[in-house]
This record gives sequence, C-alpha cells and structure tokens, in this order.
Amino acid sequence: MNFIIQFAVAIIATTAFAILFSAPKKELLLCGISGAIGWLFYYAFTAAGFGPVAASLVGTLTLTIFSRTMAVVRLAPATMYLLPGIFPLVPGAGIYYTAYYLITEEGGNASAKGLETLELALAITFGIIFGFSIPQSLFQRLGRRLHGKRRCESCDRT
Amino acid sequence: MTSTKDIMTLAVEIGDAMLRNGAEIYRVEDSVIHILDAYEVENFDAYVLSNGIFASANENREDACSMIRHVPLGSTNLGKIAALNQLVRDICTRSCSLQEAWERLRQCQKLPSYSRLLCALACGVGNSCFCYLFGGGVADICLAVAVGFLEQCLLFAFQSHKVSRFLTNVFASMFVSAASLLAFMSGLPVLYDKLIIGSIMPLLPGIVFTTSIRDFYNGDYLSGTIHLIDALLTALCIAVGVCIPILCVRFLGGGPVL
Repeated sequence: MNFIIQFAVAIIATTAFAILFSAPKKELLLCGISGAIGWLFYYAFTAAGFGPVAASLVGTLTLTIFSRTMAVVRLAPATMYLLPGIFPLVPGAGIYYTAYYLITEEGGNASAKGLETLELALAITFGIIFGFSIPQSLFQRLGRRLHGKRRCESCDRT
Repeated sequence: MTSTKDIMTLAVEIGDAMLRNGAEIYRVEDSVIHILDAYEVENFDAYVLSNGIFASANENREDACSMIRHVPLGSTNLGKIAALNQLVRDICTRSCSLQEAWERLRQCQKLPSYSRLLCALACGVGNSCFCYLFGGGVADICLAVAVGFLEQCLLFAFQSHKVSRFLTNVFASMFVSAASLLAFMSGLPVLYDKLIIGSIMPLLPGIVFTTSIRDFYNGDYLSGTIHLIDALLTALCIAVGVCIPILCVRFLGGGPVL
C-alpha cells in the first residue's frame, strides 16, 4: 500500500515539474511515470536495506532504460522522459544539510553529508552512463517491431 | 538549385534553436550534419559547443560558406526540443522542402508554453508532493503549495526583469528558506528542513547535471565541463541562499532548535 502511495505521489510530483519544463501535453503522464519508476526503485531498495547510493544507482538505471524504451515507442527524444524523471533522485536534501551543518559549525556532519551528496551525484552519473551503454540496436529492434521499418535509420536516435 | 548558403543557414538556425532550448550537444551536432546531408551538401564540417555552433561547407568551391553562432545557455523547453527533433526527422526522410522547413521552424519557435498560472500551480503541487516523498508532515505539505506558488511567481518576475541566473537562484532559495523559518517560528508544527528541501526542488540543477553527463558520455568533454560547472555553481547559489536566513535567525538569537 505504501508503495502505491509513493508511486502515485511521485507521478504527480514529476508531472508537475514536467509542466515547468514545457513538456508537450500528450507526454506529461509518461514523464510522470518515468520519474515515479525511478523513485519507486530507489524507495524499494532503501526499504530493503540498501544504502541510498546503491538505491540511487538502481533508480537512475531503471529510469534511463525506461526513458530509452519510451523514446522508441513514442518516437520522441529520450531526453523528454529522462530530464523530468531525474528530479526525485537529485540529492537536494544533501545540498541543504551540507550547507546547514557548515553554518552551524558541525564540521563532522557537514563533511559526511557533503561526501554523501557527492556519492549520490556519482551514482546518478553511473546510472545514466550504464543505461546509455546498452546498445541502441536493441531499442531499435523494439521500435521496428512497433512502427515497421523506418525510412531513415540514421536518425533513429535517442 | 538552392545555394549552399541557404541550406547552411537553415541547418545552423535549427541547431541554434535546439541548443537554446537545452538539447544535448550530440543531438544538435547530429541534426546539423543530417540536414546538410539531406539537402545534398557534400563537403561539410560542424562543431557544436554548449554555447556556440561552428559550421562550414564546400570550402574549396565557389559557393563556400561558413557560419558561427553564439548561443547563450538558456532554460530547457522539452516541447520545442521534441518538435525540432521531429522536424529534423522529416527533413532526413526528404519529405520536407527548404521553404516548408523554414515555415515549420518558425512554428516550432512560436510553440506556446503553459500559462504562468498553471506553471505556478504546478510548482506548488510538485513541491508539496516532493515534500511528502522526503518525509514532510501534513502542515509542511500544505505550506509547500503556497511557498511553491509564490516561488514560481518570483521566478517569473526575475525572468521578466532579466535578473542573472545566479542571483535568481540565490534570491529564490532565500525566499524559500525565509518563508519556511517564518512558518516555523510563528509556531506552526512544521519540519522546516523538509519544507525547505521540498521547495528548493524546482531550483536544483538536475537537468543541467544530466545534460552534462550525457555530453561526457558522448565524448563532448568541453561542453560537459561547461554544463557541470553550471550545475555546481547553481547548487552553490542555492546553498548560499538557503543559509542566509538561517544565519540571520541564529545571529538574532531566535529559536532554540536552529
């Protein structure tokens, strides 16, 4: 039940942010779902006892794969789903707590939070890189099955 | 017979529009190359940076042509990127004449965005949802709607007065932080840290950071570095903005918890 609520709220949150970045109306819900999928994996992995860094990595990886799949299904750039979807995983809390502990002169906490923020950023980086390392031909095969042979294979990009 | 210059102008203009709306470097470069290819220009080179386009064609012929564009870093518009991408696709399949392409480019540039009211509401709703996801209570969630709404109004005001992006981030996060602390000190049962974290979400450099990673992944190290520094500076501005009201309150000796 908790998972369903988290998923639903993440959809609304990401959809709302997709509006801020002027995503087209018919793609809004998919943008929301992409963010919610990333968040759901993050949430499930932290609930299962993994650290936030590992959970971020898995979340970003699934989000990237989802975005690329949607890109071939909907014939839109993967950027469309990836950019709004990344928002729930961006370490905003890390930035806040690092700054907060710095000004309250709790150096130990500040460096721990700062390091964690950096690790989360790296986890996102590698999640995206791993996601994009999957060969495009796999996604293209899916696209061809859905839309038939494209006239111009070379612009079948993500 | 269209001249090289006409084709080149179209290609660079489309590339410019894509870059301006926040597309990654690889996509822009690829698009320029594909357009030139589709209109049968043979000898060309295109080089795209995060804030500039350089292209030349037919250097050894009579109608040699080269172009340079300076494109400032701007805000992201996913709708325009998608529309421009579709335009490039159609040009590639050679189903689009040069005049038609110009006409469609103009349409893409005039693509309507959402109304400001809707954006402000979306910002409020988004903030409150994030506030919930990060563990905020009922009071935080309700307040986040109001804070987000006003925050987006503030962002629009800054935008129309052309305030620099750094100052915008500092002031917007200052506003968020001050509003949260005010709510906390007036005795409302809010967790002000959750409220602040939820409300700085729209300011976070998630998009620039992602673009930077994609640039690095595609081998565009210079553009990736530019975007990365942009993301770091934005994060720094947010940190500074959030801290100023907290420091003020501490300095004035208010609130035992701060």
